[in-house]
Amino acid sequence: MTEELGVIVQPAAAAGLAGSLSSYLIVSATLFLAGLAAILTRRNVLYVLMGVELILNAANLNFVAFGRFGGYGLDGQLTAIFVVLLAAAEAAIALAIVLRIFHDFGSIDVTRTDSLRD
Amino acid sequence: MLDFMFVTFAVLTVFGALTMVFHRSIVHSVFALVAALFGVAGLYWTLGADFLGATQILLYVGGVTVLLLFAVMLTTRETTRVSLARNALMAPIVGWLGVTLWQAYTGVSSVLAGAGAGAPTADPEPTTAAIGTALLERDAYLLPFEAVSVLLLVVLVGAVVVARRRQEPAS
Repeated sequence: MTEELGVIVQPAAAAGLAGSLSSYLIVSATLFLAGLAAILTRRNVLYVLMGVELILNAANLNFVAFGRFGGYGLDGQLTAIFVVLLAAAEAAIALAIVLRIFHDFGSIDVTRTDSLRD
Repeated sequence: MLDFMFVTFAVLTVFGALTMVFHRSIVHSVFALVAALFGVAGLYWTLGADFLGATQILLYVGGVTVLLLFAVMLTTRETTRVSLARNALMAPIVGWLGVTLWQAYTGVSSVLAGAGAGAPTADPEPTTAAIGTALLERDAYLLPFEAVSVLLLVVLVGAVVVARRRQEPAS
C-alpha cells in the first residue's frame, strides 16, 4: 500500500467486481444508452420522460462511484442528492405539462405538438 | 457478499432499463422503470451511500413513478408500438455513442488507476449524520440547500398553475 497524490492505493487484485470503478461505469453507460434509446425511438412523451429519468440516474451513479473510488468524500453523494431532488421537481412539472398537452392536443405524441398557442 | 449484491442489483438495473425501453405496454414500462430505479438504489448501497439509496427509494420509487403512473392512466389510450423506421435510424446513433462512451470510460479508468485512485480504503460508514452536517454548513452546501427549497416551492405553485383548467371567458 503506497500513497500517491494524497490517495491511498490498494493493490488492484484485492478489488472484486463491486470494488472496481469500471463495473459501475459499465452499468451507468448501459443506463444512459437505454435512456437515450427511449428518448430517440419513442413518440410518447411519457417514454421521453422515463428516458430522462434513466439518464439522470446514470449520471448520479457516476457521481457516487467517482466520489467513492476517487476519494472525494461525500461530495459525490451530495451532488447526487440534489440531482434526485431536481428530478422529482422536474417530474412534477412534466406531469402538469403532459396533462396540459393532452388537454390541448388530444394526444401526447411528441411529433404532433407543434404549436405553443391556440 | 458485496460482489453478489453488486451483480444482483446491476442485473436488476440493466434488465429493468432494457425492458422499459423495449416493452410494448407503457404500464409494464413504468414498472420496469421501478425495478431499474430500485436496482440503482441497491448500487448506491454497495457504494456505501446508504442515505442516498433510501432517498432514491423514497423519491423515485415512491414518488416519481406514482406521478408517471398517474400520467399514464390519465392520458394513454392505446399501447404505443416502437416505430421500426425510427429505430433503424437511431440504432447506429445509439451504438456509436455506446462505443464512444466505452472508450471514454476506459480512458478515465486508466487515468484514475494511474493517479492511484483504486479501491476504497475502508469499509463504508453511515453517511446520514455527515450529509446532514454538510447540508447545513455555511461553507459547504447551505446555499444550494436553500435554493432547492425555494425551487420546490416554485415547482409546487407552478405545477398547479400549469395543470389547472383555464377559465373560459364568459360569453
